[in-house]
Amino acid sequence: MEQYIPIAIMILIGVVAGVVFANINRFLGPHKPTEEKLSTYESGMEPVRTARERFSVKFYLVAMLFIVFDIEIVFLYPWAVVFRQLAPAGIIGMIVFLVILVIGLIYEWRKGGMDWR
Amino acid sequence: METFDIVFYIFATLTIVSAFVVVFTKNIMYAAFSLLFTFIGVAALYVLLHADFLAVTQILIYVGGILVLLLFGVMLTNNVVSVDIKTGTLNTIPALVAAAVIVGSLAAVFYMTWSTVGEPATAPTATTRAIGELLMTGYALPFEVASVVLLAALIGAALMARRTRKP
Amino acid sequence: MNLPITWNDVLALGPIAVVFGGTLLLVVLESIVRKASPLMFWVTVGVLAVAAGCALATIGVAGTAFGGTVLTGGYASYFALVFSAGALLVTLLSPAYLLKRATAFTEYYILLLAAVTGMMVMAASNDLVVFFLGLETMSVAFYVLAGFTRQSVTSNESAMKYFLLGAFATGFLLYGMALVYGTLGSTSIAMLRSSAAAHAGEPLFLVGLGLLLVGFVFKVAAVPFHMWVPDVYEGAPTMVSGLMSTGGKSAAFAAFLLVFGADVLQSAAPIREVMAVLAALSMIVGNILAISQTSVKRMLAYSSVAHAGYILTGVIAANADGANGVMFYLLAYTLMNVGAFGVLSILETASVENVRIDDLAGLSRTRPWLAGLMALFMFSLTGIPPFAGFFGKYYVFTGAIGAGYTWLAIVGVIMSVVSAYYYLRLVVVMYFQEGSPDQVGTATGIGLASLVLPAIALLALGLLPSTIVNLTMQCF
Repeated sequence: MEQYIPIAIMILIGVVAGVVFANINRFLGPHKPTEEKLSTYESGMEPVRTARERFSVKFYLVAMLFIVFDIEIVFLYPWAVVFRQLAPAGIIGMIVFLVILVIGLIYEWRKGGMDWR
Repeated sequence: METFDIVFYIFATLTIVSAFVVVFTKNIMYAAFSLLFTFIGVAALYVLLHADFLAVTQILIYVGGILVLLLFGVMLTNNVVSVDIKTGTLNTIPALVAAAVIVGSLAAVFYMTWSTVGEPATAPTATTRAIGELLMTGYALPFEVASVVLLAALIGAALMARRTRKP
Repeated sequence: MNLPITWNDVLALGPIAVVFGGTLLLVVLESIVRKASPLMFWVTVGVLAVAAGCALATIGVAGTAFGGTVLTGGYASYFALVFSAGALLVTLLSPAYLLKRATAFTEYYILLLAAVTGMMVMAASNDLVVFFLGLETMSVAFYVLAGFTRQSVTSNESAMKYFLLGAFATGFLLYGMALVYGTLGSTSIAMLRSSAAAHAGEPLFLVGLGLLLVGFVFKVAAVPFHMWVPDVYEGAPTMVSGLMSTGGKSAAFAAFLLVFGADVLQSAAPIREVMAVLAALSMIVGNILAISQTSVKRMLAYSSVAHAGYILTGVIAANADGANGVMFYLLAYTLMNVGAFGVLSILETASVENVRIDDLAGLSRTRPWLAGLMALFMFSLTGIPPFAGFFGKYYVFTGAIGAGYTWLAIVGVIMSVVSAYYYLRLVVVMYFQEGSPDQVGTATGIGLASLVLPAIALLALGLLPSTIVNLTMQCF
């Protein structure tokens, strides 16, 4: 378990830094609110409707693409640890895996999944 | 093993409490974000079980990926004008009864078999290397088939989300 | 286990490798060729035909590959043959149907081949991990295919329902696998069978098997996890329902038979008793509910629940007769159910999405061929000799009697008689009721040909069942 101590320290630093930076201005900054200051900033225009809109489904496609290649990384990681010992078969196996996902990428590309139309 | 126990209880509490928030909060955004803590807690529990690869996977895929997808899902589906992004917990009583029966019987079984399972024969070691070897030898077929699952999911998502009806 | 894979491993995969490669080829074609529709169709037909040939060629040489995690030849090849035959018929009937539903997306064929890949992997699994990956491949493809007609609300509902409930069932299956792995220390299915007797008394093992059973019962669409069946089959594109109810069910049963083999069932008596009750309930509930349906698709959906019950009887028998019966039954069921859904897909038009039984009145005069074929499939589904459906039931029930489950066989026979009511009512409506089914569609040459093929096969199997039984006998 000792090897996880640096990770635990990192997590601690991350949490502390996040909490501190998010709240420090509350204590250090001056508080003089006016109505103008509290209104939504829209380049000087009056905001006409809520900013909560439905997002374009395109975002979802991008996220989906990300997930697929995220999972690919998970498979690459244990493979990278051992690929020297498994020389020909292991490398061919990973190449096949990568080629299949690249085919998926080409498909997405050709079908306009990455164009913001 | 004093510190081990303390760390375990901290993360077990984090997991369970945040899971409760996921189920019982009425704001779906709060539910999504508290799921983040559930995932992190589970990843920490994997670490305590010496499943280092699983812990990394949990962080990388669930915290880094699935949660992002989930948040997009929330933002895509909520109809902000007419309906609030809030939901209630439905069918609480039947769900409680069913969950109690399942959890109760499983807990009873675990309690009965606790003594027979025992300690692992060999001391736990880093799992990543063994997983890498198995992926490239005995489990080469499921490994390659996993890419077809991903491909099908990718094509399915692209198909469902495509706007035009042109072939 | 840690042997590097060799070419022999890859070659031994045979049909799986063909369909796997075919799926990738289709994605490449879809990406680079414009207006690829006819090309995609014919490539799919070709890939499935080659896979079927490959399966036939390798059926005699059973073995394992990849260090014993995958079954090759024999059992796997037999089921690969069933899947490719079913999928081939579905593919042949699909273009005309998709045209009516105004969905010209050729991704249909990619997903179809991906689903078949998953089915073949399921039937070839000698390891729970391999089985799970196969199941997920098939399921993900089916989730999308169920909602393939995006403009239709019922299709969307079908996909949503199937996805949510399917994911739920997958959860049970995975939990069961985890507990079984916890007791055995291995995910090997061969090991699960061989060491079942030694672990039979452990509650953790039994709970694991029970959770696996929940997942399997959902995937084969038996009672009590059958609620999704009518809505999903009704809403999904008709030919997709045809493939889900045959290929999907066959693949789930192929893995069911592997995991809950004779050794497991004989040592885990409580699980076997539960399965017997579920089989009886499936036959009763499926058949009784099918009687009151007005939509042909819903009727076929409930009948598919009943058939899951009959086939489950063969699994419970846990002897050679039962296993042969299950394998024969699944081939026959694939042919007759794809046929029935195929006739439906031809009768449907752009405006009539859901054919009701009354819509078929007088069909024998306006569409004599279609009516004749539909009648033949209905006779076979009822289990009237000399059609293949009869011998499927015969072997399954013989197996059950041999294993001491006479009561289950009796329930099965009584329920088959009940099922005659709604199957034959369709025939009566087509032949003896006055009506003017002018709204229904007509068959194209290729559609009619792909319906005549399973009809001939059903007759041939019914007259010479020993040809297939000789094949299935070799698989054990």
